[in-house]
Amino acid sequence: MRFISFIVTVLTGALLIYGTVDMPNWGDPNSPASKHVSPRYITKTEIETATPNMVTSVLADYRGYDTLGETTVIFTAGMSCILLLRRRKKKKAR
Amino acid sequence: MLEFIVSKYNFWIYIILMMIGFYAMIAKRNLVKKIIGMNIFQTAIILFFISTAYKTGGATLPILLDPHGHGHGAAESAVAVSQYINPLPHVLMLTAIVVMVATLGVALAIVIMIYRKYGTLNEDEIIKAMK
Amino acid sequence: MMEQAPVLVVVIPLMCALLSPLVGWIKKEYCYPWAMLTLAASTVCAVITLNTVIHNGVIHYYLGSWLPPWGIEYVVDHLNAMMLVLISGTALLVAVYSKKSVEQELPDKVVYFYTVFLLQVTGFLGIVITGDVFNLYVFLEIASLAGYALIAIGEEGAPLASFRYVVLGTVGACFYLLAIGYLYVVTGSLNMADLAKLLPALYGSKVILVAFAFFLVGIALKMALFPLHIWLPDAYTKAPSTASALLAPLMTKVAIYVMLRIMFTVFQPSFSIEILPVTKILLWVGIIAIFSGAIMALAQVDFKRMLCYIIVAEVGYMVGGVGVANAVAIKGTILHILNDVVMTVGLFTVAGIITYKMKHHNLTDFKAMFKKMPFTMAAFVIVALSIIGVPPLCGFFSKWYLIQGAAMAGNWVFVVALLFSSLVNIILFFRIFEVGYEFHSSADAHGHGHEEAVVIEEAPLSMLIPTMMIALFIILIGLYNQPILINIIQFAVPKL
Repeated sequence: MRFISFIVTVLTGALLIYGTVDMPNWGDPNSPASKHVSPRYITKTEIETATPNMVTSVLADYRGYDTLGETTVIFTAGMSCILLLRRRKKKKAR
Repeated sequence: MLEFIVSKYNFWIYIILMMIGFYAMIAKRNLVKKIIGMNIFQTAIILFFISTAYKTGGATLPILLDPHGHGHGAAESAVAVSQYINPLPHVLMLTAIVVMVATLGVALAIVIMIYRKYGTLNEDEIIKAMK
Repeated sequence: MMEQAPVLVVVIPLMCALLSPLVGWIKKEYCYPWAMLTLAASTVCAVITLNTVIHNGVIHYYLGSWLPPWGIEYVVDHLNAMMLVLISGTALLVAVYSKKSVEQELPDKVVYFYTVFLLQVTGFLGIVITGDVFNLYVFLEIASLAGYALIAIGEEGAPLASFRYVVLGTVGACFYLLAIGYLYVVTGSLNMADLAKLLPALYGSKVILVAFAFFLVGIALKMALFPLHIWLPDAYTKAPSTASALLAPLMTKVAIYVMLRIMFTVFQPSFSIEILPVTKILLWVGIIAIFSGAIMALAQVDFKRMLCYIIVAEVGYMVGGVGVANAVAIKGTILHILNDVVMTVGLFTVAGIITYKMKHHNLTDFKAMFKKMPFTMAAFVIVALSIIGVPPLCGFFSKWYLIQGAAMAGNWVFVVALLFSSLVNIILFFRIFEVGYEFHSSADAHGHGHEEAVVIEEAPLSMLIPTMMIALFIILIGLYNQPILINIIQFAVPKL
C-alpha cells in the first residue's frame, strides 16, 4: 500500500513537473498572466474603484462575488462544526 | 540549461512540497497526519499561485505608491503595468486560504467526532474497533 | 425581477441559509417550512430562467456589472438551465420529504441540519450556473464542506466514511485548483468563454495537457468514477436518509456536468476527442465502472449500499456516453443526467422510508412491504422498472440513445456493458420484489401470522407525497422525452 502510494505520488509529481517545462519563465513581465487580464486592475484601480490597494479593489469589487462565496465557505464550516460537535444531552446531564 | 533551471526551479520546489503533502494524505494511517498532509498540499498550491504573480524588473507590491498622483487629471501619467506585480493571484489565494482553513476546521471536527467514539486516531485501530 | 432570476436562483438559498439559524432560534420547528419556502422560491426562479433560455437563448449575467474577463459572469445556456431546475426541484422534493426522517434521526440538530442543507443546495446551484472557473471552485468547496458535514452525522461509522471523503474530496478540489493555476499561467484568464477563445492557440503546450489531465482527475474524484469511487459506498450508506437522498443523486451528476463543461466549453470538443485521446480512456473507464458497479451491487445485502454501487454503474453510463463522443451518445448522456437524478432520488427516498419504518436498510427489511406500504412500493416499482429500462419510463430513453450512439460508433463492448447492467438491475430489483411478497409463504405458520397481521401502515404523508411525485415525474419525463429533447437537450449537445 505504502509502495503504491509512493509510486502514485512520484507519477503525479513527474506529470506536474512535465507541465512546467512549457510555462513562461518565473517573473517574466511579458507572460500572459501579467498581460491579459491583470493590467486593468493595476492601471484602473484608482479611477474605477478609488482604492490604491489593487488586491482590495479586486477582492471587494471586480471579483467581489468570489468573496461572498468565501464568506459563505466560512459560514458553512462554522455551521458544519456546530452540527458535528454539538452535544446537547451531555450539557443537560451536567 | 542553467538558465532553464533558474527560471523554473521555484515551481519545482512547490511541486515537491505538494507531493510531500499528497503522499502524507494517501499513505499515512493516522488521521491527524493526513490532515497535516492536506495542509502542506494546499499551502504549496498557494505558494505556487503567489509565485506566478511575481514580475522581475523592480515591480513592487500591488499598492499604488502615490495614490493621488494619478487619474484625476488628464495630464498626469498613467500607472505603468510593469511597476506593480500581478494582484489577481493574490486575490485568488486569499479566497483559497479561507477555503483551506474552512476545510481544516471541518476535517478536525470530524476527527474529534471519531476520537470521541473510538478513542484512537489510527485508521487501522478504528476499523478494528468498528467490527 | 425577470432579469435578476439567474442570480436569484443562487442568492435566495444563500441568504436564507444565513438567516436559517435565526429562524431556528425563534422556534426550532420553523426551520422546515423555511427551507421549503426558500427552495420553492429558488425553483420558481430556476423555471423562469429555463423559460427565458428556451425562448431567448443564452443569458449572460455580469455580477457587479464588471465585464467578463475582469469580473465574474453567470452564463446560463440550455444545459445549465436544465441542471438548475433539476437541482432546485430535487432539493425541494427532498426538503418536503425530510421532516419526519430528520425528526427521528437527528432530533436535536434540526436547525443546523437545515442550514447546512440549504448551503449544500447553494453550492450545487453555484457550481452549475457560473461561467468562471475559480468561482466554480469556491462553490465546489461550499458544496463539499456541507456534504462532509451532512454525511458525518449519520449512523455508526459515518464519521470515518466522511473523513475518507474529506481526504479524497480535498485531493480532487486541490487538483482542480492546480489545473486552474496551470491554465492561468499560460492564458492569464479565469473566464470560461475567454479561456475557450485563448486556448486553441496553445493546444500543443505541455502545460495545457497537464492542466486538462488534472481537471479530469480532480472531477473524477468528485464524481466517483470507477477506480476513484472508494469513498462513495461507505459515505452514502451511512449518511442520514435525507442527506443521502440529497447528495447521492446530485453530487455525482453535478461533477459530470462540470466534466462536460471543461471538456466541451473550456476546451473545444476537437481537443478532448482528437488531440488528446481522452474520450477513448473515458469510454473504457466507463465500461469497467459499469461492470464493476453492477457486480458489486449483486454482492450487497444492504439496500442503500446496493444503491451506491448502482450509482457507480450509472456514472459509468454517463462517462462512457461522453467517451463514445458522438452527438447521439452525448444526447443520451445529458438525458441520462436528468433521468438519473430523478431515479436515484426516488430510490433513496424509498430507502429513507424503509429506514424510517424499520430502523435499518437491509434487503430483508422489505419483507411484506407490498402489503404494509402499497403506495410506497408502487412508487418503488416504477422507479425500479425505470432504472432497469422498461419502455414508457424515462430510464429507457436515455439508455436507448446511449446504445444507439455506441452502435453508431461501433463500440459493441459499451453496448454489452449497458445491456449487462440492465440485466443485473432486473436481478437486483426482482430479488427485492420477491422479498416484498414473501409474507404469503411465512404466513402459513398461522399462529404467528395473525399477530403481525398485515395492517397497512403507510409512510407519513410528508414522505409519501414526494416519493409519489418522483414516480410521477419518471412517467412524465418518459412520456414527454421528445419535447425535452427538442427544446432543451438538443441545444445542450456540443457541436462535434
